[in-house]
Amino acid sequence: MSFRRAAMLVTRREFGERIRSRAFQISTGVTLLIVAAIALAAGLLGNDGEQEYTVGAQGGEAVAIAESARVSATAYDIRLEVKRFTDAAQARAAAKAEDVDAAIVGDELVSNDSPDGELEQVLQAATREVRAAEILRREGLSESDARQALAPPALQARTLGNSEDEERKGVAFIASLLLYMQLIIFGLAVATGVVEEKSSRVIEVLMAAVPPRALLAGKILGIGILGLLQLALTAFVGLAVAAASGALELRSADLGILAVVLLWFVLGYLFYSTIYAISGVIVSRQEDLSSSSTPVTMVLVAGYLVAFPVLEDPSSSLAVISSLVPFTSPIVMPVRVAVGEAGTAEIAASLGILALSIALLIPLAARIYEGSVLRMGKPMKVREALRAARATS
Amino acid sequence: MLELRDLSRRYGETIALEGLSLAVPEGEVVGFVGPNGAGKTTAMRIALGVLEPDAGEVLWRGAPATREDQRRFGYMPEERGLYPKMRVDRHLRYLAALHGRDNATATAAAARWIERLGIAEHAEQRVEELSLGNQQRVQLAAALVHDAPVLILDEPFSGLDPIGTDVMSEVLAERAADGAAVIFSSHQLELVERVCDRVAIVNRGSIVAEGRVEELREERSSPRLRVEVEGASDGWPDRLAGVRVVGRDERGVLLELGPDADDQQVLEAAQQAGRVRLFAPARPTLAELFREVVER
Repeated sequence: MSFRRAAMLVTRREFGERIRSRAFQISTGVTLLIVAAIALAAGLLGNDGEQEYTVGAQGGEAVAIAESARVSATAYDIRLEVKRFTDAAQARAAAKAEDVDAAIVGDELVSNDSPDGELEQVLQAATREVRAAEILRREGLSESDARQALAPPALQARTLGNSEDEERKGVAFIASLLLYMQLIIFGLAVATGVVEEKSSRVIEVLMAAVPPRALLAGKILGIGILGLLQLALTAFVGLAVAAASGALELRSADLGILAVVLLWFVLGYLFYSTIYAISGVIVSRQEDLSSSSTPVTMVLVAGYLVAFPVLEDPSSSLAVISSLVPFTSPIVMPVRVAVGEAGTAEIAASLGILALSIALLIPLAARIYEGSVLRMGKPMKVREALRAARATS
Repeated sequence: MLELRDLSRRYGETIALEGLSLAVPEGEVVGFVGPNGAGKTTAMRIALGVLEPDAGEVLWRGAPATREDQRRFGYMPEERGLYPKMRVDRHLRYLAALHGRDNATATAAAARWIERLGIAEHAEQRVEELSLGNQQRVQLAAALVHDAPVLILDEPFSGLDPIGTDVMSEVLAERAADGAAVIFSSHQLELVERVCDRVAIVNRGSIVAEGRVEELREERSSPRLRVEVEGASDGWPDRLAGVRVVGRDERGVLLELGPDADDQQVLEAAQQAGRVRLFAPARPTLAELFREVVER
């Protein structure tokens, strides 16, 4: 049987057994719920949404005022609905019954309670405008001149503290958190899977059937595809809920960031899962795994912690260096890309270094794996594992 | 024929194998016996290609065995090994597929062996939910599920109840009858004697006796006689030249005849001593042979 077919069979088992496991299904469900809840909460807290009012109007001038207010109100995120009344008493009654939030009747603005401040402001401004226009027209100005006089070009609003930046930082932060969690969870799954095969001794049966490299490749691929799908699903649900709740205005740039996160996950996962596989193969029991895998996890944690100062100052030298070093770049680089602080050359260099590290790491890991996978007993030192790797060549 | 030729292997300072040679003909069951640490497991792992020998080679049908050949062999390791959380039927299908069977064949073979080994009611359970005896049957199914031309089984009988033992013996005989070369290791020598066509005894990394059980008995041991004489005094065989009493019970004695002894003289002496009820060659059991060659 070819290496490719053997690796494919192993991949299918790793993927199939895990996706069928109740634990995986539950944890995925919980993760999705949490992400959706965060996106929803961000939307509800960050955006008080559009206000809607119904305004009654009785008489030609009142209708003109209400219509003018309706148009100008949209600029303040206010939607006005205008209800016309033919009779003043009816209009007052509707205001009293709160069928309308307020009604313009002659010179009065009537409402059951005192009207909302912003509604009143909009209506007063409209009133001034309509009445001033009327006066100007009476003085002989054409309608268009009157309008021009009353609505000179408005000031262009420009915010200096960029709210879009804050939004991007939020996206970058969530991206780094997702990457960090996904790399740890699925990297450790590889380590645990390798040890499971040793501790249950099924490895001997497997080795009698397929080359050890196919076992390693299949395990890394099967778990990785699962991790990628879960990450894509989580990110998709998060973005969709955030867009729906108004926390985020979806732009094509956000989809670009999603693609970047997935790409760096793939590379970061290949890098870290390979190291995790080594940490698994040098021990024979699950109890010994924590001591051999903790150093790897610590490095990942460090990568995650570096993301915080990078988020604050994405062009610092810490940011530049840590987005090139393969141990931290899978988490740091997507953060910098998300906040828009990484140049194309830097991105290419980071990708290149990471890909090269993986290309060097995989053959080494494969040899360590081959040399150590049948060793049982006390945990091996890295030096012993390397010696075993040399012996297999 | 599977042949191990001059295999040597050491682990650091420990010598596991030293020039071990052994043949397993197709269609026969070979028992592989020897004290603990004699090198049985190491030899089996090398035969499977899971382990490399320092020297020597493995031949399959007359040519050096390739990894492809070896991956078709069926293996039951001494340390039982299955994925604890995998369903029995899926596990067997997976192993059949790893040995190159297509989906349909793998599914059919898994179902057939599940049925044959009496674990049908557990087919959809996870391995860890089964009793140890039943896990052992799954383990055997794992070695059989791809219809291997060679079966290499390390201690397949240990931990089996009498019914499991019967099933295992039958299956091994069937596979040999179908032309497979079967070798298994065991410490249960009576069982080996009953199940095997040939026996190989290994000690300190090399074969110290090998052949059909009958042949071994004849060539490896001095001839012995079981004689029962009614009314004879205990000391009747004492003065016979070259004859040694190696066993005695209330009904008779077991005599070992040296090179200068004559069984006809023994018969005469017995007849003089009393009424001869039994005068027969006593063939050593495999256990006796084993002690003889291993302690020598």
